[in-house]
Amino acid sequence: MGLAKEVVTTQDNEKLCSDVLFSHESVRFVGLVNNKSDLLFSTQKPDLDPLLDEDEIRISINYSLERWRKAQNLSFRLGTEKLTLTEYEHVTLISIPYQENLLLISTQPTVHYHDVVQSIIAAIPPWGI
Amino acid sequence: MENATVSYIQLLREDLAIFRVVPEGPFPEYKAGQFLTLGLPVKSENNRVINRAYSIASHPENKKYFEFVIRWVRKPYPGRLTTAMFNLKEGDPIQWRKANGTLTINDKLPNGEPDKRRIVCIGGGTGLAPFVSFAQHLHDIGDKREIVVLHGASYVDELSYRERLTDLELESIDRGTDKWNFKYRAAISRPQEWLNRSWTGQVGRVEQFLRARPGRVSPLEELVGEKITQDNTMFYICGWQGTIDGTLDFLGNKEFVTERNKREDGSYEVKFESYG
Repeated sequence: MGLAKEVVTTQDNEKLCSDVLFSHESVRFVGLVNNKSDLLFSTQKPDLDPLLDEDEIRISINYSLERWRKAQNLSFRLGTEKLTLTEYEHVTLISIPYQENLLLISTQPTVHYHDVVQSIIAAIPPWGI
Repeated sequence: MENATVSYIQLLREDLAIFRVVPEGPFPEYKAGQFLTLGLPVKSENNRVINRAYSIASHPENKKYFEFVIRWVRKPYPGRLTTAMFNLKEGDPIQWRKANGTLTINDKLPNGEPDKRRIVCIGGGTGLAPFVSFAQHLHDIGDKREIVVLHGASYVDELSYRERLTDLELESIDRGTDKWNFKYRAAISRPQEWLNRSWTGQVGRVEQFLRARPGRVSPLEELVGEKITQDNTMFYICGWQGTIDGTLDFLGNKEFVTERNKREDGSYEVKFESYG
């Protein structure tokens, strides 16, 4: 995808994104961005109509990073953020901090997102926050 | 400490704001580039007054208020005074202590002759503040030296005085550099971020202005139209230690000397002040 500048693409990032993508049938897209908005890797299920165009995806990444950065301002009281979920009519967006980066996931809209989240978290290797 | 009133707060971002402070009584004297110590009682400290020094962005000829551009320190823990300041309202009281600091403009060389060298100011983040004071002061006194203000920030909405400094450069173009010789440029260190999508200027850290590019002179030399030497340029730097170190790393390689390590004859070409 021609989004933010793709930089170092490591096998670890590919495997992580792929594992999350196939962790549950409802996952549509997985991307890993660093805190400078560089898209380290992204992948998505084939044959899906994109909901956002390229500019809108950049905006969406920006909003996710902004929200993540601001959430960290309260971590001295609340602890480290583990997961954020935003349920829209047409999609559910999940962001999960992973090491120094942010894992961005979109899924089909579902009322059973607890199951989806459980599957996604099970696919992410522990990294010791 | 003395009493004052916060007369104006302009929030530029959630964590960046311009504050104006009007002291009670006669307006105090100070020099462009100095800092003022501000103090507020802090609830989490049982209302003990916490003091911090902030560079003054206004200039000594402005006798109406002190102006500051201040970042709300958030991580790893919220700054006690900046948190209190970002909860202030216009009209609230604040305390202050007299201006101090040595990051002031050199008007004379060690031999007593006037210092006519170009003034290059390099400010990282809110380290721009003393140079806003410099620029307005030198403008108001009709100084004829060439002044270049370089500002580094991560995001375009952190270019806190872009409009004012751009206006000063436009005035320089309109009036002619023989009357007012001023240039302003900024560098954005995260150009790939969506918020910075409109930026077409210099990218990278502010000290990149000093670095020659393959087959080309540095952006600063391109801007001023000549080679930068100890004889034609005096540098002033303010910002986080990383900005200071990055700039000194370049200037030291070119045998520029700081005030702290001045030569036996008292000469030097770099003054700096670091935050934190």
